[in-house]
Amino acid sequence: MKRATFMAVLFTVLALAPSAKAARIEVQWWHAMSGVLGDRLNEVVDKFNKSQDKYTVVAVAKGNYDEVTNGVIAAYRAKRPPEMVQIAERGYMTMLLSEAVVPVQDLLEKQGYKIDFADFIKPVASFWSYKGRMSALPFNSSTPIFWYNKDHFQKAGFDKPADTWQELEKQLYAIKAKGISECGTVLPGDFYWSLLENYSAINNQPYGTLANGFDGLGTEFVYNRTKVVSQVARLKKWLDDGIMQIAGQGFSPEQLFTSGRCSTFVNSTASHGNIERNATINWSATFLPHESDIDRPLNSTIGGGAIWVLKGHTPERYEAVAAFLNFVAQPETQVWWHGATGYVPATNRAYELARERGYYKDHPTREIAVLQLSRGTPNENSRGFRFGNFVQTMLAQRQEVEAVFSGQKQPQQAMDDAVKRGNEILRQFEKLNAGKNLE
Amino acid sequence: MKRANFGEGPGLPTLLLLPQFLILLFFFFIPSLRALTQSVLLSDPFGTTVQFVWLDNFTELFASGEYRQSMWVTFQFTVGQNALTLLVALVLAFATDHIIRGRSVYRTIILLPYAIAPAIAGILWAFLFNPAVGPLAQILHGLGIAWDPNLNPNHALLLVTLAASWKHICYDYIFLVVGLLAVPVSLMEAAAVDGAGPIRRFVSIGLPMLGPTVFFLAVMNFIYGFFETFAIIDAVTKGGPAGATNILVYKVYVDGFVNLNLGSSAAQSVLLMSFALLCTLLQFRYFDRKVNYGV
Repeated sequence: MKRATFMAVLFTVLALAPSAKAARIEVQWWHAMSGVLGDRLNEVVDKFNKSQDKYTVVAVAKGNYDEVTNGVIAAYRAKRPPEMVQIAERGYMTMLLSEAVVPVQDLLEKQGYKIDFADFIKPVASFWSYKGRMSALPFNSSTPIFWYNKDHFQKAGFDKPADTWQELEKQLYAIKAKGISECGTVLPGDFYWSLLENYSAINNQPYGTLANGFDGLGTEFVYNRTKVVSQVARLKKWLDDGIMQIAGQGFSPEQLFTSGRCSTFVNSTASHGNIERNATINWSATFLPHESDIDRPLNSTIGGGAIWVLKGHTPERYEAVAAFLNFVAQPETQVWWHGATGYVPATNRAYELARERGYYKDHPTREIAVLQLSRGTPNENSRGFRFGNFVQTMLAQRQEVEAVFSGQKQPQQAMDDAVKRGNEILRQFEKLNAGKNLE
Repeated sequence: MKRANFGEGPGLPTLLLLPQFLILLFFFFIPSLRALTQSVLLSDPFGTTVQFVWLDNFTELFASGEYRQSMWVTFQFTVGQNALTLLVALVLAFATDHIIRGRSVYRTIILLPYAIAPAIAGILWAFLFNPAVGPLAQILHGLGIAWDPNLNPNHALLLVTLAASWKHICYDYIFLVVGLLAVPVSLMEAAAVDGAGPIRRFVSIGLPMLGPTVFFLAVMNFIYGFFETFAIIDAVTKGGPAGATNILVYKVYVDGFVNLNLGSSAAQSVLLMSFALLCTLLQFRYFDRKVNYGV
């Protein structure tokens, strides 16, 4: 008798459980955030899931950006893609031309959400939109800033790092000469992004033709004819003189900075979380330096990722996706995410909100990225970089810069070769996507 | 010769072969076929546009200096790794065979690296020889050697060769130890009575009798160097600096999974497979003759 009751209860539970679950529509979101950032991302998802009872977003960590991209490609080819995926900014053209995505602005408008897309901060909005329409929802936008060890600079008799590369160079040599630190700066792992691409934007140097790729697939790299060449030569000189170190594999440049070994460090504003947790030093941050012959440095450009929505799902699931994207775009969510991670708030309203609350009084370095991104009027050199097969061209360029560092090539020769290789890769992308309808 | 009897008809033998056949089908034949087809196509990653490009992917590879560099690096790396692994494993096998006291302790210690995942082994070596923080790099600097695998292509290649060999020595070692155990004790004793020292006995008796094992190991090391060192390269150098350690298998990965250039990556894996096949055939053709299988 007892057993029968037990079985009856069990069956009822089993029968009810799926129906209770079915009431909520479940959608997947594949992402590339790990460590502190991964925890924060899960908190955003939890907040959303608790805020209503219709939808459940399941966040799935799929490794780094490359692994997420590969995962979603494999899943799409197997016709089982997730509803949403976080893709790095370098993958923009690949995603846009994949014919596998639903533009988020279309989706949100169709679902009746009123998001003020004009309110997104300019470099963020212009990067993620195509022909004025947002293709993906900016989620984690970042920009490189200049981190420094306050004690090292004070001991050497400086208030803070200089604004120009020329003055900064003198400071770093002085710090080394006085024996305050043996390593003035450390080469960032993503130096192509911070020290070449963003360098070009800030110093108003063209990187490629057709507004750095914004105006079409026929773009060609031109950075072998700009100040990028002397920038590479400067880095090589620093390396030879022992002003700059390379961290190497298995060891992050960030560790060399946070342990107090290197005095300065260029890295994404998104490192705030990690640095606050790990640094044993008295650190601060400021704007990236610019060349001394530039009167007005321009804005830096964004990196990081956005949420793309994939084709091939049912209308109910798109409802859930739209509800989640709407939640992410809300100023409250943005302000929280900005504070928790160091990523840039995506909208002007969120930035205002953070400022009104006096957030930057306690966390002054968090504002640098926003200020640097919105400095000056973005022109075609500083709007951003939109190249097809961008990861591949970047790796070719990286290899050529390494050839300079190892003394195999002169900077000019290496940049000529990098441009030549890059342009071949761009032509391949153009050939592959010829005649694609982008509307 | 004794005949095995499986009863009437082909039923049972087929059934017994089936699992192996299925594994081969799904993990070898189908992927190989896919790689072959992909290698003559130009397609975007999502597979929405696909163009047939004949052998363009192959001709582009041979025209590319980067690919030729990768072939040359692979050659240096596999040959160096093979020689080093075999040599050290032979010395160790000889030593532990010679030592009586604590032999099993030595053997266990020597076998330990095999239990370490390649990526972990890679990180370990990268750290030990990191010019900024690595203790072994500091010792080298102290000796006046400007060691820097982040900048010096030769140092980088040497470092990955050492790491890959270290990881594989134990594999060779265990085969050689077993091989030495199979050497008839009577032969060794007879030589000892004639006054041959341990080294002489090893070189004149042990080594020739190990011939088949050494040959087998050379082939296996070669395949290891070609395909399984991927994780070590990824952890120690990521193919850098300036492509100095960009071995073929690592390039296949980067072009396919990072650059999303599937056609070229497929063409490279087809070529890589053919190179491995060719080298193995050559080894069997030329070295197999010199091996004495008679015991």
